[in-house]
Amino acid sequence: MILEELSSVVQVLIFPGVLFILAYSLFCNWVSRKWTARLQNRQGPLHTGWQGILQPLADVIKLLAKEDITPGGVTKLVFSASPLIIFAIPLAALFLIPIQSITNLWSYTPIASFEGDLIFVLFLLSIVILAIFLAGWSSANAFGAVGATRVAFMMLSYEIPLALAAIGPAIMAQSLRILNIVNWEAGSWNRFLAAPGIFGIALGGVMLVGFAIYIICLLAELEMRPFDMSEAETEIVHGWQVEFSGKKLALLTLGHNIKIVLASALLTSLYLGGASGPWPIPPIVWFVLKTVFCVLILSNLSALFARFRIDQLLKGAWKYLVPLSVLQMMAVVALTGLM
Amino acid sequence: MSDREFSVPIGPQHPALKEPASFLFKVDGEVVVNVEPRVGYNHRGIEKAMEARTYIQNLYITERVCGICSNAHQTNYCQTVEEVAGIKAPPRANYIRVFMSELERIHSHLLWVGVAAHEIGFDTLFYYVWRDREVVMDLLEMISGNRVNYAMNTIGGVRRDLSKDNFPKYHKMLDILGERTKFYANIATHEKTILDRAAGVGYLSKADMKRLCGVGPNARASGVDYDVRRDLPHLAYDEVPFNVITNDGGDVLANVLVRIGETIESVGMCKYVLDHLPEGPIREKFSPMAKVPEGEAVGYFEAQRGELVHYFQSRGDVKPYRYKIRAPTLGNIPSLAEKLKGGYIADIPIVLAGIDPCFSCTDRMVFVDEDKEKTWEMDGEQLRRYGIEWYK
Repeated sequence: MILEELSSVVQVLIFPGVLFILAYSLFCNWVSRKWTARLQNRQGPLHTGWQGILQPLADVIKLLAKEDITPGGVTKLVFSASPLIIFAIPLAALFLIPIQSITNLWSYTPIASFEGDLIFVLFLLSIVILAIFLAGWSSANAFGAVGATRVAFMMLSYEIPLALAAIGPAIMAQSLRILNIVNWEAGSWNRFLAAPGIFGIALGGVMLVGFAIYIICLLAELEMRPFDMSEAETEIVHGWQVEFSGKKLALLTLGHNIKIVLASALLTSLYLGGASGPWPIPPIVWFVLKTVFCVLILSNLSALFARFRIDQLLKGAWKYLVPLSVLQMMAVVALTGLM
Repeated sequence: MSDREFSVPIGPQHPALKEPASFLFKVDGEVVVNVEPRVGYNHRGIEKAMEARTYIQNLYITERVCGICSNAHQTNYCQTVEEVAGIKAPPRANYIRVFMSELERIHSHLLWVGVAAHEIGFDTLFYYVWRDREVVMDLLEMISGNRVNYAMNTIGGVRRDLSKDNFPKYHKMLDILGERTKFYANIATHEKTILDRAAGVGYLSKADMKRLCGVGPNARASGVDYDVRRDLPHLAYDEVPFNVITNDGGDVLANVLVRIGETIESVGMCKYVLDHLPEGPIREKFSPMAKVPEGEAVGYFEAQRGELVHYFQSRGDVKPYRYKIRAPTLGNIPSLAEKLKGGYIADIPIVLAGIDPCFSCTDRMVFVDEDKEKTWEMDGEQLRRYGIEWYK
């Protein structure tokens, strides 16, 4: 009994809970920075630890030690609460993603799981955006306000395709539970290998389209290039973050890193079979490999393009992305009906 | 000002600006309704300082008017003073001056392409362009020993000669530059995100550009076919063949294309100079304490950013009596303000960067009386008297 309680405490606080997620998000940040730097003919972090692997941690510690300024004229409650929300919510959402069970080395039950948790995760993602909007709006700064409105506009553009692309796998797995989707994906891959067929290939093609849509939406969600207009430093000086400093900025940075992990974890869970993989390798390794792969895709894309304008994003999203995601979902429904 | 509009200050300190200047934008949502430019944050009293120093000392002051167009200012200073002093720089010196000016144009334009890429959030291109810009920086360092302030000119000629032994090396480096610039021209005309951000942005028609007196690549990007190098030949520009690049686009993309085109032309000019460098001395004698006879002159020079005008007045002393610098950025600010109106906030940085502004060149003593909406300039004597009155 005590052992069980102890194990759930360890699960939440250490592995695969808070501590692991924090450490892993810093690692992903390093991977992304290093990769982007090499693509851009730079070295990237070098001095803190092996190849600068501790640099993200050093950055956070530095920010924690800095002066925390609350400008006059801000809405104090919202201004201080929003970094906490932006930090805590993606962290909580990651508890619903199957990573690794601590009692069984070859199982990947998430810390918490219930029917409909996919919807809940999507809802949490929207809450984060709302918190970002409030953070910018409450900071009593012209750049902050412009950044906040841009965040809201961006949400209008990518929210619908994001949800639709996430629902596609759920329809096929006939469940809104992320764990079931992962299980279905692992199973269907094995079934496809056992008996490859034309339907399987068609389904794979449709899934690939969904994957692409999802990645584009996540780039916007994560405010990465080419969709970083909400914090475009050359235009509006980091937009909604402009007034945050010290501990609050540290929380925002950590929150952003965790959001990248959450996004790649969602990508792997919904499209790449989550933490599942061939037997002797435990799920945690598969999870790390697949999420790092997703982080690399995201940072690769963000190094490749110039920043779009906000109106170009809105136009592009409603003209191409939304119809495409609707078509993709229809194809998924048709294929599940046929199979 | 309606309720829907609010002010966004860009500057005096802002990441989009590499130097202090202030632009107060009235925006309605994302659209810029009006813009009030204000320069003068970077006034350093260069002109006054020049009046207190000898002609040779002033070489180094003019060079430090601006970090990027240092050679342009210095060369123009030399040719202006030489005109009054009645000295004629030898042909070899003029060729070397052209060579240095064109190398500086290459380095400045490549720098600008990088900055423009950064402004539209394309950092990868920024890093690549700046890496290739190192080639021309190395070339400048090989010739003059310096990467930025070359100190090549002196009154009556140039201070360093080009050694024939190094010409093959120079040719090779120029070839690399030409090749890479063509590659970037290809990117600028084909990469979708760049086209989305640059085409049609910050448009100004040819007629408006003429009315607002834009200069340099900024004007040529609106189709104004004017280049001091061709229309008011100085140094050896009438002997070195080159094309004046113009573009009728009038937008940021046209600015990019004009600058890349000019870079390619400059590479060709440098190669021509190396092949046709006349023999002979590189400078005429000019003693450090020499007096320049009474007279005045206006010097024109096509700096990287446009037409650079120097005015020089001598009263027969060892120092200039008055020296006035009109930098190209000042000529481009009215057209810049017009370009920004009606655009988006997101386009402000790239349109601003589009004229390649340089405020340390530009800032001069201009007085603005806000109540009477009057602007005037003061010369040294008036300013002195004003100061005495003020503290009475």
